[in-house]
Parts: sequence; structure tokens; C-alpha cells
Amino acid sequence: MKDLVLLPEALVAATAVILLLAGRLSWFSPGGRRSLPTVVALVMLVALGIELWAGATLGTYFGGGLVQDRFALFAKAAVLLAAAIAFAVVDWTAEDSLTIGLAMPLLATFGVMVAASAGDLVGLWAGLELAAAAGVVMVALRRPDLGLRLLVTGGVASAMLLTGLAFLYASAGTSSLGTMRAVLFSGAPTIAFAIPVFLVISGLAVRAALAPFQLATIPASVGASPLGAGLVLGLVAAAAAIVAIKLVAALTPIPSVYSTYLEVIAAVAMVVGGAAALAAQSPRAKLAYLAAGQIGWVAAGLVTHYRSGLGASLFLLGAFAVAATCGPAVMGRAEGGEQALAGMGVLRPARAAGLSLAMLSLAGAPPLAGFFGEFAVAASLAQSGHFGLLALGILGSALSLAAVAGTLRVMYIQSPPDEARRSTRLPVVSALSSFGAVAFCVVIAVYGLLSSPILGLADQGAEALGLR
Amino acid sequence: MIWLSILAASPSPTPAPTVPGAGIFSSSLLLSLTVWVPVAMAIAIATIPNPRGRYDALMKQIAFFTNLGIMFVLGIAYNQFQSFLPTLQYEEKVPWLQSIGATYHLGVDGPGMTMLILSGLIGIVSVLASLGIRERVRSYFCLLLLAQATVNGAIVARDMFVLILFWGAAAIPIALLVLGWGGPRRRPAAWRLLGYWSLGTAALVVGTMVLYAAAGGGSFDMDVLLKATVSSRVQLAVGLLMIVAAATRLPLFPLHGWARDAYSEAPIGVTVIVAGSASRLGAYLLLRTLVAAEPAAAHLLAPLLAALAAVTVGYGALLALRALDLRQAAAYLALIPGGVTVLALAALQPLSIAGAVLSLFAGGLAAALIVGVCGTLSDRAQSSSLRVLSGLAPRMPILTWLMIIAGLAILGVPLLATFTANLLTFFGSFKTQPIGAFAVAAGLALAAVAFATLWRRVLFSAPNPDAPGVSDASLGESWYLGLLAGGLLWVGLFPGGPKLPGTDSPLFDQGLVNVMAAGISDIASPYVLPTAGP
Repeated sequence: MKDLVLLPEALVAATAVILLLAGRLSWFSPGGRRSLPTVVALVMLVALGIELWAGATLGTYFGGGLVQDRFALFAKAAVLLAAAIAFAVVDWTAEDSLTIGLAMPLLATFGVMVAASAGDLVGLWAGLELAAAAGVVMVALRRPDLGLRLLVTGGVASAMLLTGLAFLYASAGTSSLGTMRAVLFSGAPTIAFAIPVFLVISGLAVRAALAPFQLATIPASVGASPLGAGLVLGLVAAAAAIVAIKLVAALTPIPSVYSTYLEVIAAVAMVVGGAAALAAQSPRAKLAYLAAGQIGWVAAGLVTHYRSGLGASLFLLGAFAVAATCGPAVMGRAEGGEQALAGMGVLRPARAAGLSLAMLSLAGAPPLAGFFGEFAVAASLAQSGHFGLLALGILGSALSLAAVAGTLRVMYIQSPPDEARRSTRLPVVSALSSFGAVAFCVVIAVYGLLSSPILGLADQGAEALGLR
Repeated sequence: MIWLSILAASPSPTPAPTVPGAGIFSSSLLLSLTVWVPVAMAIAIATIPNPRGRYDALMKQIAFFTNLGIMFVLGIAYNQFQSFLPTLQYEEKVPWLQSIGATYHLGVDGPGMTMLILSGLIGIVSVLASLGIRERVRSYFCLLLLAQATVNGAIVARDMFVLILFWGAAAIPIALLVLGWGGPRRRPAAWRLLGYWSLGTAALVVGTMVLYAAAGGGSFDMDVLLKATVSSRVQLAVGLLMIVAAATRLPLFPLHGWARDAYSEAPIGVTVIVAGSASRLGAYLLLRTLVAAEPAAAHLLAPLLAALAAVTVGYGALLALRALDLRQAAAYLALIPGGVTVLALAALQPLSIAGAVLSLFAGGLAAALIVGVCGTLSDRAQSSSLRVLSGLAPRMPILTWLMIIAGLAILGVPLLATFTANLLTFFGSFKTQPIGAFAVAAGLALAAVAFATLWRRVLFSAPNPDAPGVSDASLGESWYLGLLAGGLLWVGLFPGGPKLPGTDSPLFDQGLVNVMAAGISDIASPYVLPTAGP
């Protein structure tokens, strides 16, 4: 069984490489190309099945470079599910390239999986950078200018991250997360830790598009194809959050080096994310700010530096990964403001329901996945006495909710315009996309109802990081 | 005298006589049915293919029969309710988010059962009032059923997590209903409603979290959380936050900003559900989380509550007097029952707490009736401007009677349920909150002047020859308004339920005051004055 643990990673990476080669060498016939999304979505489901079946086996690989534990199991399962649904639901006529459009999210998924099971700093950095690089490619396919902007901003983030990780390695004397945690128990919160941690958190905040660090990510996600936007907003942000959770778990013996800075970042992200979503005119931008606000909640859970808080953050991250990755894919083309979605509730009911649920979940509206995650984080904030942060988070959620109400009105209440006058056409309906939209709705709605076992697994994930 | 028997009513230590039909229906999922059946039906309505509105009528029927079915189940639950038991009934408890201590815990005591009956009745009325909807029927009835489900969920919740879930969720369908089917100013109306209700939800979440942290962070179950021993400071903070949450929903001055626009712009079916049951949740929350759980804070905050009640009643009456629009006047007058309920809660007397629970029911019906009848009258007269509407009584006899009953119900005159509620309220509150009680009574007197002015102008003055044509209420409108008026009259005439002639056995209704009394003694126990020894 232990040999099968890394099979999902192998499947995902191999599929990505085959797709890239096949695209370059034109291996697929037109008929084969049409069925590619279905095949890749099935591959992801098979990988998810293997992960859930074999992933419970604990083990270490590559000399401790990769660790399979409950944390890795939870994070990998969440990201595989998100990617599978995104492949199914996306309108492929709105994508720029079929093979690259399939391969890049696969590579990003692989990157998130590497980060989730990373046992040391190198694995964390490599996984995150792989996911981010795939995002740059996807954005550059449609908008090279935005791709360049994302590359430059990402480069700055990467530099901060790498410098910070290098200093952390130097200060702790090890790159292994487990050993670092053990070393820090006998250490003190010195400036030698505070500066690198500051750099690392800043780099991760840029990668996760946390407000006000959304310099390039949100414009890029607005200009990218639907799947590209989902990759940048969902998978890359999820990778950054996973890195943050693992690093915070390693640094919990000296929480004073990160908690204040993280608290400020979380507070700003939650409130500014909600306010910016309220002000945004474009539905894609609104979705991006909603995602930024929810990632702020994930960061807030880390402030508690308790198992309950990190477990709640991981639980919320699962909901976030699915909603933020699939949300833009469900939305399809939405250039030209919210009017692009007018009447979608009547004309594309399954997609409209999916988009509504994605936005409501990202806003933390009950009784959807995001609400349960945010509530779990809120409970851990209350337990640890962070009432100010809790109040700001609730304010951010209220603003986000108000932002979503406007989009819901356009989709469901506004009459559909004459199709000839519509600036952007609605997504093309196919059997796969309809099935994907329904599956997405079920996942977002059922996540809360099944939250007991899911939160239990997330809690075990936090425990696996050594937290009590 | 009916009310004397009510004043003497208290939970009997001996079992009440068995009601015919008791025991024929039993379900451990009864309360879940009242919450999840509307959700399931809403999903069914949302997924039924409806090309060119061919099945609009079917969707209306599904919504109606869903509510009728729930009312039937509630009717049986009400009749089987053990009014001599102070404990929770129809309880359901399933672990949910175990790591944070949240459980799917539902249950009702007397006040909960009273609220559920109110919600069931209002559900039927709101569907009947919405039968005239022609646009986007599917979305409308889907949202209406979801709104109904969230209100029921908030009533039966016995875990603060579940309460927050439903309390917060209620804002979304209701705001969308206002936004999609409201009048010309629907957009600001919906935003204000969403804003104020979200503020209330935020206050409820923070208050709950403060209590959760103070109680050790082990559980959100009300049985644990609301019975935990916490310091007076924490109680005060939680109490203030709960008052903010309740004031946004009931609403109370100065957090009433959504009410005028929402009541006057929303479609009548939505107005009825908001005024009748959704807004009553505010006072219900105060009863559960402040009066029943935090006696120290309740004592400290009682003068504030009484002041809020007095200002709300006076403000509502004054603005109704000055209003130039019938629906806006009704919106202001609909604030008054909420003020009376809060005065009853502020009095912290067993008698007034009983009055508060009855006022939840009666006030909900009265508020729904006044906004419903004024909305219908405006529709039928093709105008809501008080400059246009005049002398309508001869041409609208049914609506005239109903409007008079609605006014009398708000004022609390004898033979109506609000009379009994007001009586219990004032008997209790003049002891402990004399200034507040006097101010509320003065506000009611002002409301009487407002009603007299409204009736004279709209109903009994000389007809306006330039006014558009008018017609009286249709059969459907008479039904739903009649149900509200009938509920007020039934409980007003038979608060203890009708009895078999010559016996003490209930005929088919064990009486609302008997049902609501279960649990009140428990809630009121911290406020019972010690009796002098022999």
C-alpha cells in the first residue's frame, strides 16, 4: 500500500506531461480532442480515489522530503476534487488552448500536492513555485502583458520567500519542518527569526493575492481565461495557504515572531476583500476579492497557533479550494460587467446555481461550505481571545454577502437581454459541463452537512503537524 | 372573565386532560420536517422544468400544499404538546461539528411551540397573499419556501451554531424577494434590509463567541452555553450584543431603518412573512439569550430595553400620524407590537414574560394583518397616497372591516389576542418598569389617534372624485387576511381553548396559553420574588 501513496502525484504529473507533448506533436484527432476533458477529469477522479484509499497510509519518502500524513491526505484530496470539477464544468470554447489548458492546472495541482506533503522547506518552495508558474503560463496565453506583470510580481514574492526560507534555515540549522519545530522548542523568538518570517509571510501574501497584496494577481485573474482565473485564484492561493499552515505549524513554539503580522494581514484581507468585492463591477473581480477575503479567514485561523485554529483553517481551505478554483470556471466568460450574467438563472440554471453557491460560499453565507469553515475559524478565534479579529472578519463577511446579493439579482431577477445585444455570450452547455455544475453544487452544499467527518479529518491533519 | 383565568394560568403539576387525537402521530424528526421539507420543496420547484411558465400554477400549488402540510403536522404537534412539562419536547440531537462543540440540536418548549404555530400560519398566509405573482414564479416561490424554512429553523434551534445558521440565512431569500418583486424603491429597501440584518447577525455571532469563550469553548449547545456561569461583565457584553441583534430584526429604534422601505416596497406575501414571523425572531432571541440565560445582565439592561420599547412605540405612532403614504403608515404601525413585546421582556416578571410570549404570537399576527391589509387596500385602490385615498368604506366593505380589526389588534382591544398579551404585559411591567410602561401606554394612545386619523381619512371621509377606480378584496385576499384576523379573534376569545360543554376537557385545541406556559416558569424562575415567610 505504501507504494501506492505517491501514485496520485505520478498520475497527475504524467498526464500533464503527456498532454503537453501531445499538444506540441498534434497526437490527438479532433474526436480525441473532444473527449480529452472527460478523460482528464476521470483521471483526476481516479487519482482522488487512490488518494482516499491509499493516502491513509502514513510514510516518508525521499529521505523525509515528502511526508504522507493526514494533513497531506486532506489537502491533496481537496485539490484533486477541485481540479476534477473544474475540468468538468469549464466551457472549453472559452479557453485558449485545450492541451495547455488541461496541462497547466494539472501541473498546478501537482505543485499543491508536493507542497502539501513536503517535509522540508525545499519541497514547500518548489510546490508553490510550480503552481505559480503554471498560473503565469495560463494568464500569458490570453494576455501576455498580464502574464508578464504576474511573473514580475511573482518573482518579487518568490525572492522574498526564498530569502526568508534561507534565513530560517540558517537560523534553525535545518530545513526539515519537523526538526525545525523540535529545535525551536528550545529556542527563543529572536530577530533572526522575526525578519525571515516577515519576508516569508509577505511573499505568501502576494502569492495568495491577499488584499492589499493583490498587485498583479487579481488583474491577471480578471484578464485570464476562466480556467486560468480559477488556477490563479484557487490553486495558487491554496498552495500559498498550505505553505503558510505548514510553516506556522513549525513555528508554533515561537508564535510571537509571526502572530502580530499575520493578524494584521488577516484583518486587512478580510475587510478589504469584502469592501473591494462590494465596489467591484466585474463579476470575475468580485469573485477574486471574495476569494481574497476568505483566504484572510484562513490566515486568521493560523493566528491562534492552536490545533483547533489550524484544523479550522485547513477545513476552510478545502471549501475555499473548491469554490475559488471552480467559481470562475462555472462563470465562463464574463467580460463587460455584471450585465454579462443577466438572465443566467433562466438560461443556464445549473451554472447559475453553481456560481451563486460559489460566491455565497466564498462570502461565508450559511449554510454553505464557506460558512462552516469560517464559523470553525471564528470559534477558534473566540477560544484564543482574538475578538477584534473576529469582529473584523464578520464585518468582512457581511460586506462580501452584500456584494454577492447584487450578482444574484442580476442572474436571477434581471430579465435576460436580447442575445444579439449581449456583450459576452453565456457558456456553452454540454453534458459534461452540466454534470460538473451539478456536482459542484452538491459538493458546496454537502460540505457543510458532512462537516463532522471532514472537520475531523482536518483536525487530524493539524494534529499530524505536531499541534496539540 | 377570560383574562382572569389567564392571569391565574400557570403550569399545572398534574397532567392536563388528554386531547382527542393525542398520540396518533409521533415522529422523532418532527421539527426537522418543518425545516427541511420547505427546503426540499424549494429545490424541487427550482429543478422542475417550466417552459414558458407552463407550470407556474403547479409551483404555487406545491408552495401552498407544503405550507398546509407543515401546518397540519404542527397542528398535531401542538395538540400533542405536553403543556405540563417544562422541558424541551420533540427534541432532536445529533453531533455535528464535534471538534468545536456544535450539535444539530432542535427542540421546542412552550414559547417555541407558540412561535412555530405563528410561523406555520404566516407561511400559509404568505403563499395565499402571493398567488397573484406573475413574474418569475419559480424563483419567487423557491425563495419564499427557503425564507419559511430559515424562520422555522431559527425557532427550533437549541444550539447557537444552528441558530446562527438559520438566523443569518434568513436575510438572503428575503432580501432577494424584496429586490426582485418589490415596488419602485425596492433596491434601497433590499439593501437596507440586508445591511441591518447582517449587522444583527454579526452582533449575534460575536455575542455567541464571547459567551462560548467565557464558558470554556466546549460547546455551542444552548443547554450548556446559556446555563454556564459567567461573570457579570461578560453577561453585560453578551446582553448588549443580543439587544443589537434583536433590535435589527424586530426592529427597535434606532435600528429600524430597514422597516419602512421593506414593509412598503416588498410584495405583500413577503411583507406578511417579515412582519409576521421573521421579525418576531428578534424578541424571541432576547427571550432565549438574555431573559432566560443572563439574569444579571437582564436586570442591568432592563431599563434600556424599556426605553427602547417606549421610543419605538412612540416613534412608530408619531410617524404613522405624519405619514402621507398608507403602506408607510402601516410600516410604522407594525413597529408597535414589537415595542410592547420588548417592554414585557424588560419587566422581568413571570406575568410579563408570559405576556411577552403571547405578544410574540399576537403581535406577529397583528403586524402581518396591518401591513397586509394596507398593502392590499393600496393595490385595490391603485394608489397608496393618503392624498388620493379617501372615503373607501362604502366601496371596500371587507377591507374596511379588516383594517379596523387590524388597528384594534395593534391597540390591543378586548376580544383580540393582543388584548390578553398587553394586559399581561402592563400588569407585569407597571411593577418594575413604571416609566417605560407609562411611556408605552402613551405611545399606544398616540397610535390610537393615528388609527383614528387614518380610518377617518381613508375610509370614512368624502370620496375623492379624482381617485382611480377601486374594488374590494378578492376571495383569495379575504381568505389570507381573514386567517390573520381569525387567529387574533380565536386566541382572544379562547386563550385557554374551547371546552366540551359542562366539562374541563378541551374540545380540539388545548389552548395557546396552556401550551406557551410550558417552559415559562423555567425562564421566569430567576425573577420570582421570594415570598415572605409565615
